[in-house]
Amino acid sequence: MSVLAGKRKRQELASSLSATLSNEERVVYNIIRGRKEMGIWQGDIKRETNIPDSLMKKSIKMLLAKTLIKEVVNIQNKSKKVLMAAEFEPSKEITGGEWYTEGKLDTQLIEALSDVCMKLILRQKVSTREGILDWIRKVGTEIFPGGVSAGQVEQILKVLVLENKVQEVNSTGFGDFASVPAGEVCYRLAKKTAVGVKVGAMASFPCGVCPRINACTPDGVISPTNCQYFEKWLDF
Amino acid sequence: MATQYGIKFAIHLITNHFGNLVAKVCENLLRHGPLTLDQLIHYTELSKEQVKNSLLVLVQHNCAQAFVPEPEDDGSRLRIRTEYMALFDNIIHRLRFPKFLEIVSRKLDEECVELLDGLLRDGRLTLKQMVDRASQGKENAVATNAVREILCKLLAARFVERCPAPEPVVSTSFKETTTRKRGAKSAKIFEAPETLEQRVIFAAVPGDGIRFSLTPDTGSNVDGETNSDDAQMSVEENVEFGAEEEKILWRANFEEFIRHLRRKVLVENVRAQHDDGTATVLNAVLEATRTVERKVKMDNSVPLSLDTIVTEVMKTDTGRTMTIDRIRASLGQLGCSQRMIVDDSYSIDLKKIIERARNEEVESIVLKRYGRDAYRMFRLLSRDGDFHDTDQIAASTLVEKKEAPKLLHKLWNDNYLYMEKIPVTGARMQNTSITMWKVNKPLLWEYVLDEMYHAALNLNLRMAFEQEKDEELLNVPKDKLKEPGPLQKKYKRLLNVWLLLGSSLMKLDDALMLFHDF
Ligand code: SF4
Repeated sequence: MSVLAGKRKRQELASSLSATLSNEERVVYNIIRGRKEMGIWQGDIKRETNIPDSLMKKSIKMLLAKTLIKEVVNIQNKSKKVLMAAEFEPSKEITGGEWYTEGKLDTQLIEALSDVCMKLILRQKVSTREGILDWIRKVGTEIFPGGVSAGQVEQILKVLVLENKVQEVNSTGFGDFASVPAGEVCYRLAKKTAVGVKVGAMASFPCGVCPRINACTPDGVISPTNCQYFEKWLDF
Repeated sequence: MATQYGIKFAIHLITNHFGNLVAKVCENLLRHGPLTLDQLIHYTELSKEQVKNSLLVLVQHNCAQAFVPEPEDDGSRLRIRTEYMALFDNIIHRLRFPKFLEIVSRKLDEECVELLDGLLRDGRLTLKQMVDRASQGKENAVATNAVREILCKLLAARFVERCPAPEPVVSTSFKETTTRKRGAKSAKIFEAPETLEQRVIFAAVPGDGIRFSLTPDTGSNVDGETNSDDAQMSVEENVEFGAEEEKILWRANFEEFIRHLRRKVLVENVRAQHDDGTATVLNAVLEATRTVERKVKMDNSVPLSLDTIVTEVMKTDTGRTMTIDRIRASLGQLGCSQRMIVDDSYSIDLKKIIERARNEEVESIVLKRYGRDAYRMFRLLSRDGDFHDTDQIAASTLVEKKEAPKLLHKLWNDNYLYMEKIPVTGARMQNTSITMWKVNKPLLWEYVLDEMYHAALNLNLRMAFEQEKDEELLNVPKDKLKEPGPLQKKYKRLLNVWLLLGSSLMKLDDALMLFHDF
């Protein structure tokens, strides 16, 4: 309701304000507004009108000052700011989705959310997606003032599975799973070997993870006998 | 087929063990495939004598096999000429001899270890040669009967076998499919050999009846097979017992050792993924069906009924306390769900366990070499094996949109990913394309295997280099090395270097087997 009310208010404001706009300002404003939540790049406005450059720049400045339009960072090209009518929320294509703030991936948010999920799973041993979401909504309002959507929690869990930190399993209804009805999808910490994620045979010595292996030959410029990676590794 | 670096590594091993001449002959066999003596002389530019001697060494050590291509029906090939073929797998097995000895030491006893050690060192031995070997350095000669008994133990465990026929006749035309008359059950499990190498080995191996039997061929072709070597054996049938025994050559049965190692890997992987109970169940199933397995790379375990499995599990130390419900739950974890079970017999998907282990190895390389973001993207693609476009990958793995294509290209550039550009024709987007990515496992695994051989070769070369560098140390009397000082320090470093390089190589060898032999 409040969003709608706000929108209406702004629309009224716009129509009343439009009376006070200059001709150029009105043309520019209409072009921008016509693009809705996609917005438009300044250069593209130029192509659609024949307003002289300086006048157009001035109009945009005025429109911004009157908060009829706003500048939005475009994820596709950060130097190409997009102009958008104030009443629209930028589309996913422009912002990059809910994980992006100011056109940048919000790694802090991701980390904080992963952390909270991991901690809860560790405590509960086995957790469901709904359980995690409820808990975050209850205790996490301080950490996540913007709120967290169900979709976000779901995606964080998927990423934790991809990172091999968490396992997605079906509840058996017994033991650790007792709190979850059998058959329901739930999450638990991934089994680790004693030293954390299992290090493979190749990953345990220089050649296995060497960026130069394709250039390395027995008697070439780079070779196992003169290789710096080996020097470092065998330096006791 | 052996990969490029696989061949290089094999040649390196042969050079180390048998010198340059033998290695040259071996290299030509590996690179050109089967060759006749004349062809070998031509390619190697060595004398006939040198080539012959090299071949003898290779055959003696089970690194090469001779065979006679079956003359074709039209009579166009009247001259029968023996061809020689390098046995790549057996060459690489030389790296694993310590592991083979360790298995025998665990399963049997020290006497067996000693006898096997002799076989591994000399390649092939007759009973008499074994006796001579055992008697060396001892005051009294060891009794033949004693050695025969040890040999019997090794044969019963299938760790030793009769040497294959020296020159089996093999059809080189691939049209006909090999069918063998066996019980209906094994016919299902058995698959026709594919490559010429497999064909030759297959034709040369004596039937199971005599392959592991100490007494000379009894003439009763146990399972009615008509292997080429049987004819040759039966000619000798009438010869006196003792004289015959003299002639039989024995060698280590690599296949059984590899089977053992594979079983261990299967069980340990299940233990790491699930729990001890599940590992116990798998082990019992594999142990019970050991002698029925027809090849090493079994995709599924031989089907067993629940009753049989329960009996087998209860027989083991760790399984004695397991209830039927617990066993059934473990079978469920191993992927035998109730609805997949036909006629109450359980068969475990072993291939899946191996694939999981391979994935883990590759993923750990990706993590270390390309970092966490790449690791997530790779795992996403590797899990379903389907095509995904760049944006979709970035979004599902929460990787910065600008970074994702860079990392994906890096992985693609290093052969870890497969890429395809799909042109998009739309009103607004002309001449654009979407880049799609996927993990192509068979291709990737072959590539990783080649990198592993490369890495193994490098480790070996570095070991040789370290030894050379500190050669003087080996000539220093032992007492001197015990005194504190620069010499001792150097010596200690060398020991550490050897330990680290050696253990890395053995661990890498496990991975080689995982990708090649299992
Ligand atoms: S020897 Fe050195 S340069 Fe060559 S592959 Fe190994 S680590 Fe890389």
